[in-house]
Amino acid sequence: MAQENRSSQTPVSTTAHSTPAVAGLDYAPNAGPGELVSGRTIGLVISTAILFAILAIRSDSFLSPYTMSVVSRQLAFFVLIALSQAMCLVVGGMNLSVGAIGSFTTVILGLCIDKGHMPGSLAVPIALLVGSAAGFLNGTLITRLKIDSFIVTLSMMFVFMGLRSGISGGAPYRLPDSFSYIGQTDLFGVPYVFLITLLVLAAVSYIFANTVFGRRLLATGGNPDAARLSGINTDRMIVHANVLSGFFAALAAVLWASKLSSAAPETGDAWLIISFAVAIIGGTGLTGGVVSGLGILMGAAIFMLIKHGLVELKANDYYANSFLGALILLAIILDRAREVYAKRSRPPA
Amino acid sequence: MLQLQSITKTFPGVKALDDVSISFHPGEIHALVGENGAGKSTAIRIITGIHQPDAGLILYQGQPLHFRSYRDSLAMGIDIVNQEIQVIPDASVAENIMLDKMITFGRTGIVNWRAVNSVARRYMAMVGLNVPPTTRMRRLSAAHKQLTQIAKALAANAQVLLLDEPTSSLTEHEANNLFAILRQLRDAGRTIIFVSHKFEEVFALCDKVTVLRDGQCAGTRSIADLTRNELVRMMIGRDCQDAHLGPLNPNRDREVLRADHIVRADKADNVSFTLYEGEILGFYGLVGSGRTELARILIGEDQPDSGHLYVRGQKTRIRTVAHALYRHRIGYVTENRKEEGLLLKSPVRTNITITIWQRITNALTRRISPAREIDAASRMVRDLDIRATGLNQTTETLSGGNQQKVSIAKWLAADCDILIIDEPTVGVDVGAKEQIHRLIWELAAKHRKSIILISSDMPEIIKLATRILVFKDHRVVGELTDIDHPGKTYHLVSTAIGQYLA
Repeated sequence: MAQENRSSQTPVSTTAHSTPAVAGLDYAPNAGPGELVSGRTIGLVISTAILFAILAIRSDSFLSPYTMSVVSRQLAFFVLIALSQAMCLVVGGMNLSVGAIGSFTTVILGLCIDKGHMPGSLAVPIALLVGSAAGFLNGTLITRLKIDSFIVTLSMMFVFMGLRSGISGGAPYRLPDSFSYIGQTDLFGVPYVFLITLLVLAAVSYIFANTVFGRRLLATGGNPDAARLSGINTDRMIVHANVLSGFFAALAAVLWASKLSSAAPETGDAWLIISFAVAIIGGTGLTGGVVSGLGILMGAAIFMLIKHGLVELKANDYYANSFLGALILLAIILDRAREVYAKRSRPPA
Repeated sequence: MLQLQSITKTFPGVKALDDVSISFHPGEIHALVGENGAGKSTAIRIITGIHQPDAGLILYQGQPLHFRSYRDSLAMGIDIVNQEIQVIPDASVAENIMLDKMITFGRTGIVNWRAVNSVARRYMAMVGLNVPPTTRMRRLSAAHKQLTQIAKALAANAQVLLLDEPTSSLTEHEANNLFAILRQLRDAGRTIIFVSHKFEEVFALCDKVTVLRDGQCAGTRSIADLTRNELVRMMIGRDCQDAHLGPLNPNRDREVLRADHIVRADKADNVSFTLYEGEILGFYGLVGSGRTELARILIGEDQPDSGHLYVRGQKTRIRTVAHALYRHRIGYVTENRKEEGLLLKSPVRTNITITIWQRITNALTRRISPAREIDAASRMVRDLDIRATGLNQTTETLSGGNQQKVSIAKWLAADCDILIIDEPTVGVDVGAKEQIHRLIWELAAKHRKSIILISSDMPEIIKLATRILVFKDHRVVGELTDIDHPGKTYHLVSTAIGQYLA
């Protein structure tokens, strides 16, 4: 994401104004039919709006169509990367290999197009398949060997990183100009990348809110023992979640390659921290069972706003990561505080 | 002397303790009894400083105590021996005993193991624990772990010892051993508070008994001038209603579930039984006697090493709970509803319909029909009289009894006709207990469900079951039939069970 920062010369802003497309698709398992958006998500929307307003007032170029286009494109990547992490968090695990899968997939994509002379219509499905397969491998290792997802995905992160370096030799692959269409063009001023992400987000929200599959993923994360003893194949759910995680990482990688017009092996290097930051700020439960599509969108927006707010304030860019780290911690503390508060007044078993 | 004076403690929706006063004297073993939900756990937590009372005083040696935490009560010489035995499994026995008072070489912070072990050995001798002090804790039996905890309390010079259901995982011999040690400690002038729901123990061991009922103190009496029936009356507020709810009519020609020589290492030792339609088959035994372990094999959560299962006459292998549920309509109501039964943070609705989601999904949109979901959940809430503010109330905030009903409702919603119900009334208040008993009975009597009832609550199992299998050491050691026959009195059945277990 460091390159992305440099590539945007204008002080950037957010796209909160273009988000209502997915409002109401929040899903936490404890939100009933009448209360689709949880209190936590409402808080996020309000925070985003306030940050947005501050930046809009302080900066002249903030609301310009150009800025909006640049920013919404970047936001889309944050969302996809966070979704990749959120899939694993939802079932009570994590995926430390999000970025490594992204990099690996990018290299496969480059290999297919540059060396294998395949058309994009063939290379992209292959790349997405490879990302999903990487997730499948993670999930299978976690469930078959009964090893913690932390250990498995930490090891696999190195495995995938080694593969991408070994295969690519560290050099980027050139992609034909036609491949950049999706990544670099807008539809009526809205980047395709952002539109695709909104569709994905809407689909994910629909799945969690309405389908058996989504509910079972949530139940698996909420209480794996209870889920299993209620007839849910929790191992299968964990594998599915990891496949989705790999798929979203691959999708982000493919779109990123399209945006850059090149398949850079270092694509996913900064993704791990972004994936956690956005997912957590977006209200994804760290212990599983809670996720919100709208929340993740807001999390990505807040992440962007603060990042670029710091630029706007001419804060020393070298310290930016410290602010973001503190922000993640704050999000977790607030979440924990709510839980403790809720728990305090409960009778013994 | 430890005194509770007019202690009141309220939790949202429950008055757990209401103006309770009790005096515990040195040199007595004082039983604290009451039905599940009567307030025993809360009383213990207040005595040990885990909870603070809303009103009332705790006096120790005449001085008011203001505990803010468990540590405060420890400092005053009050220690608890917990029912879920709490130890550090990978530390040695000596370490567990001496954990908070390690002996070091001066101020170097380096532990003098020789001294630690020798002091620990002294306390171990006091409780008759005959193992090397360096033994890893995880290698000890439940009984020895318990003794370690008592030794730890003695090492802390605890004057008040609180034992919460200490015998639930002990054999009779081990329990008697424990009692002998408790008597010694009593004679040495310590105060022992003994929480139990086993009458035999209360009468055999204790000097006094205080009965809690619905959060109130139903009285403190000397054991010497109390009969069993009087104690029951104090506990449930009326005469013992252990009488069977009525005859069931199991269809002996229709076997629904048969286990044939099931063997599983350390879990089931050659167990065979048959369950008939419309029957309540009781599995009685101590905690760890192999009942729950067997249940887990029956629902596919665990696989037998050898032996066969027959469901409705068909030989089958049940590989997962999903198989048991969706292919064979077998449901399992777990004994740990909070840990294994419920999604506590999810609404009642979700917990009831979790087993039927796929059945109420629109084939095209893959959407779980909210209308059908609400319909199914409300029917269960109505039929089982689940007291909730609505279908969307978070399950965590329901009372124990209502949580249990939700835990049962899930299987009824899925139309299971073989139900394995494990300790259905643990942590459930008196009124709900009656309701759950009636519910289980009606499921068998009116709806022709076949039920395996696992319980270590003797009155409960005798009240409900038509037949009882007695478990010990993962084996079936006895079978009692026609329990619902009018001629079979409670006394007769309980004596027979006792003989099998002896």
